[in-house]
Amino acid sequence: MKAEVELHLPPDVQYVGLARLVVTVAARKAGMADERVEDLKIAVSEATTNAILAHLRNDRPHPVVLSFGPTHENTFGVTIVDAGPGFDPPSPDAPDTRAWTDEGGLGVTLIRGLADDVEFVRGDGMRVNMHFAVGLSANGHDGEASP
Amino acid sequence: MELSLDHRKEGDRTVLEVGGEVDVYTAPKLREKLVELVGEGHHQIVVDMTKVEFLDSTGLGVLVGGLKRVRSHDGTLVLVCNQERILKIFRITGLTKVFPIHDSLDEALADS
Repeated sequence: MKAEVELHLPPDVQYVGLARLVVTVAARKAGMADERVEDLKIAVSEATTNAILAHLRNDRPHPVVLSFGPTHENTFGVTIVDAGPGFDPPSPDAPDTRAWTDEGGLGVTLIRGLADDVEFVRGDGMRVNMHFAVGLSANGHDGEASP
Repeated sequence: MELSLDHRKEGDRTVLEVGGEVDVYTAPKLREKLVELVGEGHHQIVVDMTKVEFLDSTGLGVLVGGLKRVRSHDGTLVLVCNQERILKIFRITGLTKVFPIHDSLDEALADS
């Protein structure tokens, strides 16, 4: 993906909120509808939380890197890269098969349920690539946030 | 946006009003509050999420933990939520089958 912006976050959970804020503002500027921005906000929160916790749990001082921006006509992409040990994402099972007492693993389920397209790539850490349809904003696709 | 937590008794129920953003940074405060309430003997809890502005899986995990905690005392934990953006994540994760979710506090309090 050819990102417009890169955000380097120290591995501290207080920065997850900042990631949500910055990415959602960029998506609105790209013309994404409010309802879709809410989905994006949750997916970014989930992936950034996983990345930062991977660094904290494995004592990695490096920043977590988010890159994001409009990728091509009517699509907004977000990539989250961490330097943790990586994980093999669970197979996309129906939520019904999950024991409700299982408190973990809900994040990946949410990302899959919210993004139009997502891939989890395990390399020297983890790379999550997500894409969201932008759609036209009410005042047309002018690249400006609505007042 | 900080997390706000206020609780009060409504008959035999305890209403915990949650406001603001629940994420990995703020969820521990919600977890502590639920642990504290159950520890003090509040076993019939209504979590009013009407003023919640953001909730992700970290928050869902804390609510599941709270549900387990009250159930171990034969208690209940029901939710008040009327925001589609939040209801959506309960649906995606299948947790609508786990939590009783009401549109309004009155409805939740009327539910026995």
